[in-house]
Amino acid sequence: MSAKEDNGARAGAAPGEVGGPAAASLFVLPPELAIDTDVARRVIAEFVRGQLDQAGFERAVLGLSGGIDSALVALLVAEAIGAERLLAVLMPYRTSSPASRTDAESVVRQLGCNSLLVDISPIVDGYFGRDGEPGSGGAEALGASPLRRGNLAARARMLVLYDQSVVFGGLVVGTGNKTEALIGYTTVYGDAACAFNPIGDLYKSQVRQLAAAVGVPEAIIRKAPSADLWPGQTDEGEAGFSYPELDRLLYWMIDRRQSDDELLARGFEQAMIERVQRMVAGSEFKRQVPPIAKLGRRTAGVDYLYPRRRPGSSRT
Amino acid sequence: MQPLRIALAQIAPRLGVLEENLERHRAILDEARAAGAGLVVFPELGLTGYLLQDLAAEVAMRIDDPRLVELAAGTAGLSAVVSFVEESADHRLFIAAALLEDGRLRHVHRKLYLPTYGLFDERRFFAPGDALRAVPSQLGVGIGLTVCEDLWHLSVPALLALDGAQLLINVSASPGRDLAAVHETGIGTATSWRTLLRAYAQLTTSVVVFCNRVGVDESISFWGGSAVIAPSGEALLEAPLYQEGLFVGEVALADVRRERIALPLLRDERPELLVRELERIVAERAGLAPDATAEPGSGA
Repeated sequence: MSAKEDNGARAGAAPGEVGGPAAASLFVLPPELAIDTDVARRVIAEFVRGQLDQAGFERAVLGLSGGIDSALVALLVAEAIGAERLLAVLMPYRTSSPASRTDAESVVRQLGCNSLLVDISPIVDGYFGRDGEPGSGGAEALGASPLRRGNLAARARMLVLYDQSVVFGGLVVGTGNKTEALIGYTTVYGDAACAFNPIGDLYKSQVRQLAAAVGVPEAIIRKAPSADLWPGQTDEGEAGFSYPELDRLLYWMIDRRQSDDELLARGFEQAMIERVQRMVAGSEFKRQVPPIAKLGRRTAGVDYLYPRRRPGSSRT
Repeated sequence: MQPLRIALAQIAPRLGVLEENLERHRAILDEARAAGAGLVVFPELGLTGYLLQDLAAEVAMRIDDPRLVELAAGTAGLSAVVSFVEESADHRLFIAAALLEDGRLRHVHRKLYLPTYGLFDERRFFAPGDALRAVPSQLGVGIGLTVCEDLWHLSVPALLALDGAQLLINVSASPGRDLAAVHETGIGTATSWRTLLRAYAQLTTSVVVFCNRVGVDESISFWGGSAVIAPSGEALLEAPLYQEGLFVGEVALADVRRERIALPLLRDERPELLVRELERIVAERAGLAPDATAEPGSGA
């Protein structure tokens, strides 16, 4: 263990060897983040089946963007319950990269799962307006920032997924990873909305390792992660640091509870530590159920504490 | 002495669905009997599921509950360990493991150590037990029952062995976590437990029986990996990780005698030394005696 830790002592560590030579050329895997992918697949398959079974469902629905996270979840869900029980919904906006759609379609072909294409442009444009024509958001909304547009697009996809979940009779599966959840790079009630999430405790680097192990197409593993809100946007460009570097910092900071001094000694820069700590603290609200004002004798989430799935909770 | 066949019911209980879990237990008892087992062990809270929270009070049973009596009645010719939420006469709720033998409830162990840290919140919902006893068994050896976290406290196997246990039985609902690739089994929890079980078997020169559940309650997955360990530390049975099933192993109880004569660790134990030093430490911690040594945590 200590030898592994020493290997990873520098920030922006050396390429990992754990995923094997093929994997190492595809992505950088900091050694301390390497997981046992066989065990992870097993646990996740069991988790997916358990969540569906306990809720009385046999099918699942997810949004397939063409990125690595949703591609991985699609493969894991198909592995757990069979591709015929999975509906992948492709929900491009008119400015979305055509390559994203091609990549998503390649996953659908590989799996042979059900798929549906829903263009969300009329939903988004219907609110923000288009070509100078105001939508239901009024004239002001014509000049909406990319942030507003991105959030609304994420929530439009949520609307579609939850509607299609009724049609298909499946639960909505979350596809967000631990890195983006911790730094708050998610839209509340948008991409973060789901019935359960199989990969929400995996850092991006671990998502890549698992993706390589389960057979996500190489092109998808290789390309730069992007929210695809505008042409050429990349997560790492926006955040200003690389995923392996960020993952390592989050791992030592959160999973291993290291102090600032210990993180500095490990080679992380003060400025990055402070910035990431602000991002994590500032997004705490996104990771929790909203508080309810305590007034009565028994209050949900405070002193009324039941498992989500309990006798009587299954719809069947 | 005939070898003892031990059946480990590595099951995934339905959370809060007592009737279904009881039915499952009854069926497994029959299956184990048919497989020639003398001892059947079910996991922690196998009758109720683990992550009960406020459901705990709703699935609790008094030890004279007709459902338990009926379950015990199904153990003719068998010894079995089952686990459930026990409600005492004064309405405290315990995580309990009961030894059922030949149709009767013989002994109840109430979980002593309730983890309330990290992902655990047991003390919020349950009361800790206050007694630890090795009990005689129709198997011809003393049995020491423990529940999960009980075995993360060194004193527990030591006391049970001194009290006459030759078969240490632990029933668990251990959530798997820490999937780092560096671990022997691919999962940190399983690797730690294996180390502990082997060490306890050797240090107490006893047979260690571990039954851990599988399945999923909410976020957590239970890893299984139930085991029977010989007094030498050798694993006689290692059930697979995450796989539901009834796994049967065989142990020669005569090995306990052989091991204890060859390696007389228990003969050489010094309980009076332990008591003396513990009394001193307790007095010092309570401020009733000057601290002759370093105060715990002072760093001095």
